[in-house]
Amino acid sequence: MVGIFGSRLTPLRLVAWLAVFVSLIGCSIGSAYAHGERNQEPFLRMRTAHFYDVKWSTYKLAVNDLLTITGKFRLFTDWPNNLPLPDKVFLGSGTAGPVFARVESYINGQPAIQSGKLELDRDYTFKIVYKARQPGVHHVHAMLNVDGAGAILGPGAWIDVTGKESDFKLPVTTLDGTKIADLTSWGVGTVVKWHALWFVIALAYMLWFLRKPMLIPRYLVITEGNEDTLITRGDRLWGLFFLVAAVLIVIGGFQWASAAYPRTVPLQSGVFKVDPLPQGPRTIDIKLEKATYDVPGRSMKLEVKVTNNGTEPIQAGEFATAGIRFVNHSVPAAMAEVDPVYPKELVPPGGLKVDNDAPIQPGETRTLNLDMTDAAWEVERLTALLNDPDNRVGGLLFFFDSDGKRLITNVYGPIVPIFTKLEPTNQVGAD
Amino acid sequence: MQKMADSETVQIYGVTWSKWSAALSRRFDILVAIVLFLAVLSAFHLHFMLLAGDWDFWIDWKDRQWWPTLTPIVAITFPAALQYVFWEKFRLPIGATFGIVCLLIGEWLARAGGFYLWSDFPFSLIWPATLIPGAIVLDTVLLLTGNFLLTAIVGGMGFGLIFYAENWPMLAAYRLPMEVMNSMVSVGDYIGYAFTRTATPEYSRLIERGTLRTFGGHSAAIAAFFSGFACVLMYLLWWYIGMFLARVVWVPNKLKTLMGFKKDARPASEVVVV
Repeated sequence: MVGIFGSRLTPLRLVAWLAVFVSLIGCSIGSAYAHGERNQEPFLRMRTAHFYDVKWSTYKLAVNDLLTITGKFRLFTDWPNNLPLPDKVFLGSGTAGPVFARVESYINGQPAIQSGKLELDRDYTFKIVYKARQPGVHHVHAMLNVDGAGAILGPGAWIDVTGKESDFKLPVTTLDGTKIADLTSWGVGTVVKWHALWFVIALAYMLWFLRKPMLIPRYLVITEGNEDTLITRGDRLWGLFFLVAAVLIVIGGFQWASAAYPRTVPLQSGVFKVDPLPQGPRTIDIKLEKATYDVPGRSMKLEVKVTNNGTEPIQAGEFATAGIRFVNHSVPAAMAEVDPVYPKELVPPGGLKVDNDAPIQPGETRTLNLDMTDAAWEVERLTALLNDPDNRVGGLLFFFDSDGKRLITNVYGPIVPIFTKLEPTNQVGAD
Repeated sequence: MQKMADSETVQIYGVTWSKWSAALSRRFDILVAIVLFLAVLSAFHLHFMLLAGDWDFWIDWKDRQWWPTLTPIVAITFPAALQYVFWEKFRLPIGATFGIVCLLIGEWLARAGGFYLWSDFPFSLIWPATLIPGAIVLDTVLLLTGNFLLTAIVGGMGFGLIFYAENWPMLAAYRLPMEVMNSMVSVGDYIGYAFTRTATPEYSRLIERGTLRTFGGHSAAIAAFFSGFACVLMYLLWWYIGMFLARVVWVPNKLKTLMGFKKDARPASEVVVV
């Protein structure tokens, strides 16, 4: 064969070309760097679960070390109408598969190994403890799975795991005192032995028949009407032996396993019940008057009417939605809430701008214009909400009183896109 | 035709063959065996993945109710169809065993390649169930009785009935109780919890629900009997599917006629013979 190879294609060259081809395929396969959170529809990210106060205990650890993620989430009051309510929720693991082993997880301090019902417009704490398993840089999210609504990802951080996967161990001790050195290999030897035994038995059974001529000769005999001659007494004895042997081995295996593991339990299929965090006094009335999104300007503007029914003056300090935190730089208490090591891509530098930052006094009602201008809207693909069938925006607006105490409000409502016409002077090539 | 010398012939099942023909026939056997192995492996594995799916994939889905009920029911399909072909066309009582061996080789390849090497799940989470003892029961009952109805009733029932028992030696170690976060779970539960399947939350597990108080809560035994009963019916259905698919049919090549190269001179009644 000649052609693009320039000369005759020998087997050696063929192998060489195949090696090159396979190498190219290998080079083209990259790692999965995140979990497609930006592909989730904005209504799913902005109006379901809002995670806040999320902390990762470390950003670098070795295989077998522990990583703890803590934080809170609020199931949004303006839950999308086209999603099932959170009647069956699981505290999921937003990792790239089993790169970590999940050791423990809690919602409001209750074990979250199973699923349960949660309430809208209520807050919950969560805690997940992971054990690092696979070296690499992994994106680790807080995540809730809601039956019928799918995975709802919270903010994610890059975690660097060093070491060797072969060093990973997950030991446990069972209630009957059995010490399991590593759950990744527990029982696998027995599984392989039993499968191998049955494969050998099956092959031995079939080889008795396969050793003799099979298809055409047997087919010809059957077409002649002499099929009874094809099964001999030896064949029947062979079959009887295997029938008896198979049944006896199954019974013997069952007895052995029952003796070896006398105390076993079925898979656990219950649900957990957990109460939400106590609801503190809600002293702020807030109503979204108007929301717009300036498409070319990448700017979301919210006009909200706020009434302070509390006893302390308050300031708008942060707007959180879809895991993105727009923080008001002129409110020290809000800035103090941002951990210096918090993922920077989740805290847009433009932050939250308020037209009147003066504290809202007790009893005062004021209309605030909130401006959040940042490329994050595009980067996070949240502008896709303009394509949603239910074109609404939602998020948590954090107020801070004069003592630095945080008060959380829900902001939600319809949003109107503004396809601003560029001025001629701003256009490329304009005089 | 020139008569062949005795030294050039061989008797196969009472029929005289030339040695050359016999050798060629044996090579044909091997070729067909290889092709059939790959075809059954692929088709049966695909079928089984779609229908038994998660119950066979994961250790924390292998419960006492759904797993032993559904797995034999969807696993007896190809063996029954293959038994028809192997037995009726060739009098070979190995159809079920052959089908199950193909399936299990496909399963182990998928678990090793796709689940372990590619996705990094530990084998303790992903090992497949065995079905070989039930297949041997099916084949040997057919061999000893020579009757497909008895095979359906006795073999089919056996296929479903012994499934849980034949896997218990492998499964029991994963049903040891352990304490996690002040809760009792089985080791299998915890393995499924620890090694994350990102898109498979806990609530999606379809495992033991409800009550069997009339039977003292012996879920696995009741499931096994029900599965055996359903296997009898499935066996009959798939035996006939095997019969249907093994018909020798031909369809004339109409491409040339359509392209205008050749006119089919036969009467319309002879064009398609099925």
